[in-house]
Amino acid sequence: MVKIYVVDNGGQWTHREWRVLKYLDVDTKIIPNTTPFEEIKDVDGLVMSGGAPRIGSESMKLGNCGEYIDKAKFPILGMCVSHQFMALHFGGESGPAKVPEFGLAKMKIAVQNELFKDVPEESQVWESHNDEVKLLPKEFTCLASTANCNVQAIKHNDKLIYGLQFHPEVEQTEFGHKIFENFVNICKKNKDGTN
Amino acid sequence: MFDPEKFIAEKVEEAKKIITGNAIIAVSGGVDSSVAAAIVAKAIGERLTAVHVDNGFMRKHSDEMGESEWVVASLKKVGVNSILADAEEQFLNARLDMHKIYPKGIPEAAKSEMQEDGFSKPLKEVVEPEVKRKIIGEQFIRVFEKEARKVNAKFLIQGTLAPDWIESGGGIRDNIKSHHNVGGLPPDMGVELYEPNHELYKDEVRKVARALGLPAELSERQPFPGPALAIRIIGPPNKENTVIVREANYIWEQVLENAFKEGRLDKMPEQYLVGYFPSLKTVGVHGDVRCHGGAIGLRAFKTLDFMSGQASNIPFEILEEASIKITNALKEKVNRVFYDVTHKPPGTTEFE
Repeated sequence: MVKIYVVDNGGQWTHREWRVLKYLDVDTKIIPNTTPFEEIKDVDGLVMSGGAPRIGSESMKLGNCGEYIDKAKFPILGMCVSHQFMALHFGGESGPAKVPEFGLAKMKIAVQNELFKDVPEESQVWESHNDEVKLLPKEFTCLASTANCNVQAIKHNDKLIYGLQFHPEVEQTEFGHKIFENFVNICKKNKDGTN
Repeated sequence: MFDPEKFIAEKVEEAKKIITGNAIIAVSGGVDSSVAAAIVAKAIGERLTAVHVDNGFMRKHSDEMGESEWVVASLKKVGVNSILADAEEQFLNARLDMHKIYPKGIPEAAKSEMQEDGFSKPLKEVVEPEVKRKIIGEQFIRVFEKEARKVNAKFLIQGTLAPDWIESGGGIRDNIKSHHNVGGLPPDMGVELYEPNHELYKDEVRKVARALGLPAELSERQPFPGPALAIRIIGPPNKENTVIVREANYIWEQVLENAFKEGRLDKMPEQYLVGYFPSLKTVGVHGDVRCHGGAIGLRAFKTLDFMSGQASNIPFEILEEASIKITNALKEKVNRVFYDVTHKPPGTTEFE
């Protein structure tokens, strides 16, 4: 059984992420973002939740997320504020969105990737954000965008670190379940050394 | 996937271990509390007593029957020993000790509801949704405490689901709305709490209800919030406003349910409700006479678990029928009917 924990950054949908993983037969639990890395170093993957903290002024509320990103040898998937935090952490910029998005948006995939396996080029996603990634760090590639937000999905060029601005954990994201399934497979392959 | 049979077996064992002595359960008539009642009854049998509180904000069940009467009758039908606590006046006049409820400081939005003695206005005059919810939460507990003493209960069982406590906040999570059974709990409560459904979502609790063999009128029942019609009045929940929102809500329910039965609506929305905006006054004309009345907002909502969702696509003819019936029934009180097309986010399921 693959073990993927959910780091709680105070999101409304943290519990949904846990639920989707549980339904995929993953050994999962929700942990506070203040959990020491030592206690989670044997997981096969990490999902970092979204949350109410604003990226510009409150990134300290994201606890040890930076440490997890630096030390992890396993794949990480960050949602919303965690996605913005990743960009910031690697030297990019995040801040107030030109157009905050709530509810329905159409996402267009620019670069195909294992995370989006079997997800069509255009699909419906569900959004809830006031901030966004403004400048992508050079180690990252942008995978997808919507009409109002250029950076909807990012991937580290060498590591299995992914960020999503939208929320695959909610039912209204058309291929959300599929994206989670793909992430679980990425974690499995990494665990078995077949990546 | 979720296994309801396994869940029931685990919870019955857990309840047997945790609950010593007598317990009471708060039943609203909805699927959440019915499931909790059935599970705990399996565990402790006759040591369980069900209490239904009529807070004065319950709906109409039919032209002949109020919702509270129906709830008690249904419970009797499934053999649950139950008490109806009539607490309408107690709720309407209840006030909140603001400093006690907000020990870390009173939020800006709640300050306008505070009176000189440090208590809030009585519920029937309160406008701020969070203060309404907190007053109602406290009164629920007061009623249950009283009833618990009567049966010498040490435990209070509630049907709380995961979204209730998630939205109620705590730690770094923002408080979106205080659910009556979570954020409203006063710190000095005199009974211990047990919540078997704490980790479940709405769709899962329905699966458990079916596995328990509850009748469809319970297992498939439309969700209804604890603060009831008080949070469907976007304004003070006094008796006059409650009569209006109760009637409009009943008409909207009937229109949608009939349209579905007659095949004019493909699928029932997971939730449908009205909001009454007494102070959103617009000008109307009734029989050549000017009138100045409030507005009704209709909502129909498509969702899996209420944590996110979409406004339903209801055919215009059905909206039109509701508009005509509501304005005709409520005359000068309601001049306009609107349909809410807001998804969640940014909206929430209910208006408050």
